[in-house]
Amino acid sequence: MKRTPSPRLRFGIGLALALALGIGLDVFLLMGARRADARVRAEREAIVTLNALTGAVERAGISGDEVRRAVAAWAKSHPSLAAVRVVVFEGISLEASTEPKDSGDRAAPRRLTREEKDLYDRGQRLRAAVETNRQEGAARKEEIEVSEIDRGALGLAGPLEKDGEVVGLVEIRTSGPPPPLRVPVSTSILFLVAPLAIYAAAAQLVGERRGPLAVTASLLLAAALFLFARQTLRILEADRVATERAVAERVVQEARVGASTLPAGAAPLVPSKWDTDVFRKPRPGAPGTPPGGAERRGRNVFFGVAIGAFALLAFFGFGLAARLGSTLARHRVAYLYIVPAMLAMIVLVFFPFLYGVAISFTQQTIYNTGQPLSHLWVGVQNYSHILADFSIAKRAPDGSLAFNYLNFYWTLAFTILWTVSNVAIGVTVGLLLALILNTAGLALRPIYRVLLILPWAMPNYITALIWKGMFHRQFGVVNQVIQIFGGQPVSWFDKPFTSFLTALATNGWLSFPFMMVISLGALQSIPNEIYEAARVEGASRWQQFRAITLPSLKPSLIPAIIISVVWTFNMFNIIFLVTQGEPGGSTEILITQAYKFAFERYRYGYAAAYSVIIFLILLAYGTVQNRATRATEGI
Amino acid sequence: MGRKSREELPHPPLHAILLVATLITIYPILWVLTIALSGKQSLAIADLPAEPAVSDRLRSVIPWPETVSLANFRSLFADQPFARWIVNGAIVASATTFLGIVLAATAGYAFSRFRFPGRRAGLMSFLVSQMFPGVLTLIPLYIILVKWLGLGSTRTGLVLVYTTTAIPFCVWMLKGYFDTIPRDLEEAALIDGAGPLTIFRRIVLPLAKPAIAVTALFSFMTGWNEFILAATLMDKESMYTAPVGLRFFVGGFSQQWGYFAAGAIIVSIPIVALFFFLQRYLVSGLTAGSVKG
Repeated sequence: MKRTPSPRLRFGIGLALALALGIGLDVFLLMGARRADARVRAEREAIVTLNALTGAVERAGISGDEVRRAVAAWAKSHPSLAAVRVVVFEGISLEASTEPKDSGDRAAPRRLTREEKDLYDRGQRLRAAVETNRQEGAARKEEIEVSEIDRGALGLAGPLEKDGEVVGLVEIRTSGPPPPLRVPVSTSILFLVAPLAIYAAAAQLVGERRGPLAVTASLLLAAALFLFARQTLRILEADRVATERAVAERVVQEARVGASTLPAGAAPLVPSKWDTDVFRKPRPGAPGTPPGGAERRGRNVFFGVAIGAFALLAFFGFGLAARLGSTLARHRVAYLYIVPAMLAMIVLVFFPFLYGVAISFTQQTIYNTGQPLSHLWVGVQNYSHILADFSIAKRAPDGSLAFNYLNFYWTLAFTILWTVSNVAIGVTVGLLLALILNTAGLALRPIYRVLLILPWAMPNYITALIWKGMFHRQFGVVNQVIQIFGGQPVSWFDKPFTSFLTALATNGWLSFPFMMVISLGALQSIPNEIYEAARVEGASRWQQFRAITLPSLKPSLIPAIIISVVWTFNMFNIIFLVTQGEPGGSTEILITQAYKFAFERYRYGYAAAYSVIIFLILLAYGTVQNRATRATEGI
Repeated sequence: MGRKSREELPHPPLHAILLVATLITIYPILWVLTIALSGKQSLAIADLPAEPAVSDRLRSVIPWPETVSLANFRSLFADQPFARWIVNGAIVASATTFLGIVLAATAGYAFSRFRFPGRRAGLMSFLVSQMFPGVLTLIPLYIILVKWLGLGSTRTGLVLVYTTTAIPFCVWMLKGYFDTIPRDLEEAALIDGAGPLTIFRRIVLPLAKPAIAVTALFSFMTGWNEFILAATLMDKESMYTAPVGLRFFVGGFSQQWGYFAAGAIIVSIPIVALFFFLQRYLVSGLTAGSVKG
């Protein structure tokens, strides 16, 4: 058994790891943010160019040699532009192109070829977007399409307009990616090594006292992380300023080029309208004002990272890591055996469960799945809507009760009725048949037994679909039998009660064999001598049953009942496939109702809350049952 | 002291009850057979005239086809992609069984034989996970498997999900059984110098065959019969498993009952056969597992 390392060493290791985590994450996030900023800058510059070029092409008359001359001049003066293409809808023509492949006999102007159909389609998409936005008076569809062609090079397409009508498009392709960003290696190493050196020196003075060591390490960590974060924010701010300057420079440059290509007598270009977003609306915020939201988000991120780093420091410093390590090492064989199963369970069961619980506090629907959960947070609103809604029934004008089948309490009551009646039927029928089959000397016993078990063996979704077919209003055999006896055919799925009966019949059919087999097994294990002794005492049949049979059945029957309550409560397939909740959702059980909220009404948040409530009900049942039977004792 | 001293109930009424129960039990199965062999897509056994007499009605209730034909079975394989669905289902169910047993047997053995921190919490967490409503995990699972891992419409994704569905039950089941195997053998092997892995493979696993058989049956049934997850994760028709395919025949506006019935028979035969083969173990295993908790 290894001894726990000394406090000095522990806090040293803790500090080193916390610094590595904190600084490492900060650098990682910084590089991510800078890369995103660089991308935004490239996009903004390209949009300025596109808008300016579009203006120039429009003023050159949309089509003709003027346009080609302007485009050529533009391409020559822009090393950052790899290619420009101008397409006009009328005549489906490629008016101008500086693409290398569009030379020789493919040079513009010419008709677009079949392979270039997507170019034409893109133009029509832009036209549709412009028209939609104009009709709605909103910026909903993108009027400039931006796509990343390969590593950093951007392709942009914007609409060409004439008299307020989209008549074509201008497409540009930027050359090459922006220069790669430098990772601040030396700064990071400095921030990593300096605190450790100071700690080492301080630790010599402090000695092996835990308190002062903890304070020293914490102060050093806090100082290092704070200074590094400030440095990082400064870099980001510098990036932002540089972006604004670069965009402003680009506008000036384009204005100069544009003026030189402008034909005589054309209206002047409007450079102030070139720095737009993809909806061709001016960017929000006048240049120069810092975007507060981004800054705040940045601070929050650094705060989160710092909390993680401090947790790590404490974890190591106070010896928890050492203790955990020695526990893991001592029981490593056991943990090795469990890790594969546990890992699978964590990734595909426990994590999805927690994620689902998180969704239950949001108003997520199919339409906003792209947004982060924090934007859709509504607290316990879903829960209160489900649990505080008591409008189960209201009185119709003619005095009859009209039930609200979507109400939680209706579904809960129905689920309980469903569970209790099914389990009662299963136990009664199963026990009765078991008692008969247990009669000594009964002929054909094995054959009866095999045939009676069949429903258990059948896949239950098939059973459900079969019974659904047999209860068909017009062709189902159940109605044929009723008509043989002179009755009227029943529309089984039109009334809640008859609909319930169909599901009950189906589930009863498939669930009694389980109870029968369990009971039969228990009955066969009762020694015959006990009955004989009872008969000698003069006990009647009923007395024997009460005093011998039932008590002997209890140990196997009670667990079977407990498990079948849970099965029936969650018997998704039967309700989902047989009654389908008809009529009007009256015969839904909780689990199918939750499914419908999620996948037919697409209210993910609400459905998740519904499911969490189901889980809590089952958990409560499980706990009570566990208390009552003490089943998990001594595991 | 033979039968005479024991006051037996008379047998004929017992046979009557059993006969009625058996008839009700096998009627739906005979019905499916009839529809499957009818060669038609209708869910009626017989076509009724406009004014049916009682004899006509009787004919439409007795599960015997008017004409026997294998057309439904033939076109299930010739005209429908049913063979593909069956193969998909078989691959998924077999892989689930294998993976489920490997993971559950190792974990169950550790839970049974070793005492370590987190043991009780681990066992309880498996138990509680059985109460997680499927709907709650369905949306996150979709995001994880399809969006993050890119396993949408793949058999691998389905196998992973089914395995984790089956693991908790299998772990508890096997743990309960391992508990009943005396440790003497293992201790003897330990003295002979065998390592934990050798003991597990050579001694414990062979002794636990009945429990492993039940676990296998359970895992296979999970994979072979499940349809909500499969319907959610398998978008492509060519990747359907058998249950999704069968529902495809009679769900929504589709009314191809002949195909459904023929397919249902094909799908049920292996599972029913397996069930009867392992049934003895299933009962003992279920009760042992559940009595132990």
